[in-house]
Amino acid sequence: MSELTVETRDLEDVTLLYPKGFINAHTVRLFETALQKAVDERRFKIVVNCSGLTYIASAGLGAIMGAIEEIRASGGDLRLTELNETVLNIFEILGFDRLYRIFPSEMDAILSFREGMAS
Amino acid sequence: MAKASLLLWIPSDTSYLGLVRDVTKKMAEHAGFDSGTADRVALAVDEAATNALEHAYQGATDKEVEVRFEDRGAEFRVDVVDTGQMVDPRAVPRVDLARYVSERRTGGLGVHLMEKIMDSVTFRRSARRNICCLVKRKGSGGTEGA
Repeated sequence: MSELTVETRDLEDVTLLYPKGFINAHTVRLFETALQKAVDERRFKIVVNCSGLTYIASAGLGAIMGAIEEIRASGGDLRLTELNETVLNIFEILGFDRLYRIFPSEMDAILSFREGMAS
Repeated sequence: MAKASLLLWIPSDTSYLGLVRDVTKKMAEHAGFDSGTADRVALAVDEAATNALEHAYQGATDKEVEVRFEDRGAEFRVDVVDTGQMVDPRAVPRVDLARYVSERRTGGLGVHLMEKIMDSVTFRRSARRNICCLVKRKGSGGTEGA
């Protein structure tokens, strides 16, 4: 079994990332590359679906930190969904749940990007 | 009754971090911690081993990292030992999340996580070795939920 795979899917203007496995110092480059590809393609509305993510170490959190400013400065955001208890707990320990919007379902996360458009 | 202890040597290669995490989780569960706590302890040890690989050895893959696990009854202790460059973790700036975002900084999160998860994290240099000692007391919820 591969330690990490990251599938990407574009749904209109939202890019969905599906990391499957774990993200640590060994696997983070793959996740970083997928994230950077979206940014390079100027797709700044990003949802990371964590349903297949078993755990994330600081290397993975650092990858998100490294990309978020450019994403937000470009009018987008990186939002997270379907975190398991272990991953959510890591986010909470670091206070990342206050820095990033976390949604229970993928659809909620996608629709959250439509909120601003209605107003 | 004697408590479990284990000595693990891994090559200084990040591909072994998953093994360190799996072994740590098993040892923590064996010491009596619930699955969630064992997961967090495993993450803290992953971070300590990552520090050894990336900072003390600076990515060199021909070295070794020693990980000692010890169930001491009232507490579970893990020492992560390397023979690399002296690393002063006190030089790592404290984590300020707001500044991290604005300054695009990513370093220091590992030490911060370790300190949040464990009851005690100490670093010392002895006989040209860096020793990171992580302790989790039994019966403590730890500080991560505080």
